[in-house]
Amino acid sequence: MKKYTQTSGEIGDFSQLPIWQKYAWVDLLYVSYGLLIVALVLVSYMFGMLHWLPYDPQQINMDMLMAPPFSQGYWLGTDFMGRDIQSRLIMGIQAYFLPGLLAVSISLLAGVMLGILSGYLGGKIETVITYITNLIDSFPRLVLILLVVAAFKPDIYYIMMVMGITGIPAVATAIANKIRFLAQKNFIEAAIALGLRTRAIILKHILWYNCRALLIIQATLGMGEAILLETSLSYLGFGVQEPVASWGNMVQSGANYFLQGNFWPSTAPALAILFTILGFNLLGDGLNNILEDRRGR
Amino acid sequence: MAVLATQPLLKIENLRTYFYARSKHSFIRAVDGVSLEVGHSETVGVVGESGSGKSIAAMSVMGLISNGPGVIGGSIRFTGRRVQRDLLEGLDKFVNVKERHGRVMVVNKDEAGWQKASERQMKNLRGKEIAMIFQNPRASLNPYITVGEQLTEAVQLHTLYKTRKEASDRALYWLEQVKIDSPRLRFNSYPADLSGGMCQRAMIAMALSSEPALLIADEPTTGLDATIQSKIVNLLEELKSETGISTLLISHDISVISRLADRVAVMYGGAVVEYGQSKLVLGEDASIKHPYTAALLASVPSEQQIRDKASLQTIEGDVLDTINVPAGCRFYARCNQITPEINEKCASHHPELREISPGHQVRCWRFSN
Amino acid sequence: MSKTILEVKQLSKHFSRNRSVLSGLQRNRRTEIIPAVDNVSFYLRENETMGLVGESGCGKTTVGRTILRLIKPTSGTVLFNDRDITHLSDQELRPLRKDMQLIFQDLDAGLNPKMRVQSILSEAVSVFERLSDAEIKVKTRMLLDQVNLKYSKLSSYPSELSGGEKRRVGIARVLAVGAKIIVADEPTSALDVSIQAQVVNLLRELQTQLGLSYLFISHDLQVVELMSHKVAVMYLGKIVEMGLTEHVSSAARHPYTYILWSSLVGKLSLEALHPLKLDRRANWGVFDFERPTRGCRFAPRCPVYERLGHPAECTDPENEPQLRDVGEGHQVACHFPLGN
Repeated sequence: MKKYTQTSGEIGDFSQLPIWQKYAWVDLLYVSYGLLIVALVLVSYMFGMLHWLPYDPQQINMDMLMAPPFSQGYWLGTDFMGRDIQSRLIMGIQAYFLPGLLAVSISLLAGVMLGILSGYLGGKIETVITYITNLIDSFPRLVLILLVVAAFKPDIYYIMMVMGITGIPAVATAIANKIRFLAQKNFIEAAIALGLRTRAIILKHILWYNCRALLIIQATLGMGEAILLETSLSYLGFGVQEPVASWGNMVQSGANYFLQGNFWPSTAPALAILFTILGFNLLGDGLNNILEDRRGR
Repeated sequence: MAVLATQPLLKIENLRTYFYARSKHSFIRAVDGVSLEVGHSETVGVVGESGSGKSIAAMSVMGLISNGPGVIGGSIRFTGRRVQRDLLEGLDKFVNVKERHGRVMVVNKDEAGWQKASERQMKNLRGKEIAMIFQNPRASLNPYITVGEQLTEAVQLHTLYKTRKEASDRALYWLEQVKIDSPRLRFNSYPADLSGGMCQRAMIAMALSSEPALLIADEPTTGLDATIQSKIVNLLEELKSETGISTLLISHDISVISRLADRVAVMYGGAVVEYGQSKLVLGEDASIKHPYTAALLASVPSEQQIRDKASLQTIEGDVLDTINVPAGCRFYARCNQITPEINEKCASHHPELREISPGHQVRCWRFSN
Repeated sequence: MSKTILEVKQLSKHFSRNRSVLSGLQRNRRTEIIPAVDNVSFYLRENETMGLVGESGCGKTTVGRTILRLIKPTSGTVLFNDRDITHLSDQELRPLRKDMQLIFQDLDAGLNPKMRVQSILSEAVSVFERLSDAEIKVKTRMLLDQVNLKYSKLSSYPSELSGGEKRRVGIARVLAVGAKIIVADEPTSALDVSIQAQVVNLLRELQTQLGLSYLFISHDLQVVELMSHKVAVMYLGKIVEMGLTEHVSSAARHPYTYILWSSLVGKLSLEALHPLKLDRRANWGVFDFERPTRGCRFAPRCPVYERLGHPAECTDPENEPQLRDVGEGHQVACHFPLGN
């Protein structure tokens, strides 16, 4: 049973509707949850950077090994070396935040440039760029990362650079497709015929008006992916190394005690990973539907 | 047979087909209370601009509207020689409409149930008793199957010519009937190798191959080049006199309608504003016409006007979108024949379709006395 | 006699179609050449409208785009105010955009869906001159007056406009830069009948007010006849007949022009009256401009060719009919023109 209701009375003026009637509630829910998570991550990152933490994340307290949550000022308990889990969780954000931003900026910047070259100029340049992006796409990302780790050292920044580069094709293709779509609608031709400068056409009309939503979405999704990659590699021991805290190595080190009934040292970072990545992805998804008008037709 | 004598082939009564504009949270009242009749061996033309609901009305008859609120009321009575039934019978129990001040505000619809019941009603009708040709013929043909093959298949499916040989002979016969040149050659070609006009001919052949009682032609000449358009109109004219098929012809092109139609319905904003004999509705005398029809006819330049390079007569304002349907006459905002006496009525009350002379109905307060 | 503002000489544009996916990088690749425009010449005077008619695929749109150099011509020259603009670079071309503009068939072309009408117009106004905000405001309002749009539409997005309003904004955008020549590519074909008449009237008013010259490209013969002082009829990339509108429409010399005009659905009675009885069952071959043509391009569809028993001149590859004058500037490219 489907229900259709006329809510806006006689004259259906869309732009005057309040925001919660304009868009699907599920999208708004996604976006508000995502924004909450992003805000939380940002604030925690600041706290970590300024060392405004309940405890020193690397301080070992031999009296309080494996303290359960809510004991003596340790809100989330301690791990097997008596370190405060809450402080380590907050510090764990340092492990992925800047490297993640680096990865996202590499894919966005290079992707936008290649996308514009291939979509706007076309011809042989397009063919060459298609080859390059296909080449990048055809390497398994994990193998590349392991190669880099083996050749240099297991540094998170190196890993994120690889991640950024492997993220270029997706952005480049999306931008090029958008430009091709606009060209098909005579949009670019009309701008040239009017006498606009190429710079204005690309920066203002293509990037600002027509690709900004796409870029924001790509950035949020890319960030979620970067967190996932960092935590999985740290879990495997290739990423951030002990004693520096990372959600990945926290899960790993806590996992040994999980079956003994001490679930919190691994569960807390695992849940943090889950909710954060979910937050970034839902934010991207919701924004996609709202900004690109996917549902509200 | 007694039924046939008294009942028209197709009788649409008070048909309402709505859509829902999600972003605007309003109904699109595409077809809002349309009544039409197509008699046996009669061609009825429906003329109107974009958004007038003429194509949606035709698609409702074919049972092709499935998304959104869709057909929410009315009846479509089909009285053919082989099949007689109401195409919307029993469908109303899947739709629940709530009105306020005579205006639909809420529609609850069991879409799956409606769809299933509609399919049951349309069985043996769609493509067999009622055939349809569309604006873009090339898109309606499968590009990977030869024209002859598609025709043969249609013949086998809908007629008694069941063996392959019989069916393909029949298919060829229909290609000849629609005067496609070198039909034997075209029989084995793919749609991509045919020009737009030939594709339309092939589509007409396919529609006619099931020997339907009713042909619905939705903008059959739109999008074709001028030279091809007149050929298609000639073909439809010849087919009309040769086969005596009943046709519901939908077009925005008044000249096409006036060439082919016996009766004409003029649609505006989802409603029929004028309905009657072709020569009355599209004739010279503007005083017995709906103001919209009169303005529409005047906006087509005459040869004299073209020669003198005179300014064209226009209808001020814009085509009504059926989202913001006013309470009064739908043509009120653009009408140039409002007199002070009827102004108030025009602005606040939707006029009824009223018979002003036998067989000629107009929806205008000017004729209400 | 007013001055010639635009002259097109022997303009040709051949499109090539690559055969394989890889051929983008290959030298000596095998390509098909499609002559979309072949040796087209005409001129346009100030304050004059030239109609360009023909069926879809005849190359009329390509002519318009090539003149504006949105497409580079294969050969030939385009003179604007006696200046050759065929080989200008994009940089040199930009100032000329001020004088030559294009109205697109597509109603949405140039209307950025994310911009309000106000910003669309102010952008267009300030392409070639730096203006203060107040000047921009005055000028955008003036433009709206010129195209008969309400000021309230300034705050609308293109998606909130109807077809007719979109077309008006499109015209205002073109006027904003102060164009002298406007190439109008099917400006009415995407509109409803009642709106078409409004746009035709508007374009004609603007012509008298601002002294514009139009190259009016359309397949709608009635509108072209009404708008244009001169008409050129194109068939498969070539102009087959050209002359004053009243000559071409009522005293056509080329069989194709004749068929084109008599095929107007409402005008069919004319066919019977004409002294030349055309065979109604003339062979309307497949309409395909990629097929190599020998001699006269229209011969396969030509009723005169049929009636005269396939004369050899018509299919002689050495002797393709060229435009020649038949009096009063009326030119026709046919070996056996009608009406003799």
